[in-house]
Amino acid sequence: MRLELGKVFIKDMQFSDQTMVKDGTLYINKQELLNAISGDDRIQHIELDIAKPGEATRIMPVKDVIEPRVKVEGPGGIFPGVLNKADVVGSGKTNVLKGAAVVTTGKIVGFQEGIIDMSGIGAEYTPFSKTCNLVITCTPIDKLQQHEHEQAIRFIGLKAANYLGEAARNVNPDETKVYETLPFAEGIKQYPDLPKVAYVYMLQTQGLLHDTYVYGVDAKKIIPTIIYPTEVMDGAILSGNCVSACDKNPTYNHCNNPVIEDLYERHGKDYNFVGVIITNENITLMEKERSSNWTAKLAEFLSLDAVIISEEGFGNPDTDLMMNCKKISAKGIKTVLITDEYAGRDGASQSLADADKAADAVVTAGNANEVIELPAMKKIIGYTEPADTIAGGFAGSLRPDGSIVAELQVITGATSELGFNKLSAAQL
Amino acid sequence: MITNNPEVYKLYENSYPMKFSQGGYHDVLIEVRDLVHQGCELISHPLMGSVKPNETPYRSIILKQGSQTDLQSVEIIESSIQTYEKFKKMKSLPMWSHKILEDFQFVDLKLFESAIESTNLHI
Repeated sequence: MRLELGKVFIKDMQFSDQTMVKDGTLYINKQELLNAISGDDRIQHIELDIAKPGEATRIMPVKDVIEPRVKVEGPGGIFPGVLNKADVVGSGKTNVLKGAAVVTTGKIVGFQEGIIDMSGIGAEYTPFSKTCNLVITCTPIDKLQQHEHEQAIRFIGLKAANYLGEAARNVNPDETKVYETLPFAEGIKQYPDLPKVAYVYMLQTQGLLHDTYVYGVDAKKIIPTIIYPTEVMDGAILSGNCVSACDKNPTYNHCNNPVIEDLYERHGKDYNFVGVIITNENITLMEKERSSNWTAKLAEFLSLDAVIISEEGFGNPDTDLMMNCKKISAKGIKTVLITDEYAGRDGASQSLADADKAADAVVTAGNANEVIELPAMKKIIGYTEPADTIAGGFAGSLRPDGSIVAELQVITGATSELGFNKLSAAQL
Repeated sequence: MITNNPEVYKLYENSYPMKFSQGGYHDVLIEVRDLVHQGCELISHPLMGSVKPNETPYRSIILKQGSQTDLQSVEIIESSIQTYEKFKKMKSLPMWSHKILEDFQFVDLKLFESAIESTNLHI
């Protein structure tokens, strides 16, 4: 499966009479976009705003971030099984508005959304301070249940990204990158002397408000399976969760998964990157056992030499992470884990809620308990009151002057367990 | 099943063998630990949900009767208690507003129902 990813670089975003890309600016017809995303009876009002890098703007509470993409050639459309038919995506040509993002906000549950600061110290911790953001603030009808609210906002965000992505359809990309994964048997023959490496991609699936979708299927209902890496780039996996902001994977991160990107980079040089195994993080121990048995079985079936395993979230997914690690290692396959830490404010406490001696190669994406101070911003998009109640905030987090003292947990994407962030640990 | 979530208890007390705990998150974990040491096996992970133990006051845990001590359950409940204690030391549970407490009850309820559904323990 071969995908050409055409990057159209976006340096500015403005509302205008016509939606189009010109000289690196994404112009958006506000009314046309509103027409494209409106119509859900559960939402009484939609507000659109633009937040650009360097501005004194705070967006909160952030639910999801989505990158506008469009399929230019090849089967299917972006977000298959959700906005488009469930065709197999990941081949042909896809154009992407690189530098633009759709950010959805809303007070869905009182404690699980995040913050994006467009400047100041907070901006350093989130990749979404570097993108021009079309921010959607939805006001739900009275007494709308949380999961209905989440679903409504999820679809509005995806529709907005789909609408904006269309603006890239007839634009010549500034840069094109080609990604290719051969069918397994051919791939093995291509680089017979290199170690066969796959990526075990753990998806948050603990239940309502903790879900991830694959081709529109709720991933807690799947048995681990194999997916081509380029399918992920076309939006086959999308986020539907309201979990801690720092280490949930927004849809943007799935489409830009750096583990996949880096494995492709070293494919044919250091490794033979043969594909991706997706698995879930369910609540019951039986499900954890079943899914980890299957990832290990698939790893063995593919005769892998090594896997990289990434986690999403914290707490009981640590058990899934360790089960995957232990069972895959027991097959004689090397493992490297990517996680983040809840190691206390001083970083000295036990980092994970589970451990195993097989986990001897672990990469951290940062300590979510680290306390940071975010300066007041001139403009707030969304609502500030949740600062006290979102994960990582505490009573008094929001000071009268508008500044916020809270744990890193509050920043969207700060400790991304896909490595889509800047934090890690280094030996000095 | 042990819960300190009034929503879970209200909806399911007549459907499943369920004990309502008057205590907090920690008390539920301790009650579960005692049952595990008496031979019960964990069905749901005690840390279910991504809500941190020093954020939500509610916990609903499903166990099943067993004949001998299940070592995996012992390990998981003990490390869950350690995790709880670590978080508690960092920050105690805030005095949440009624609305936030309702949100926590709702999420705990939905995760509980998700666990019930996947264990095929339908009513």
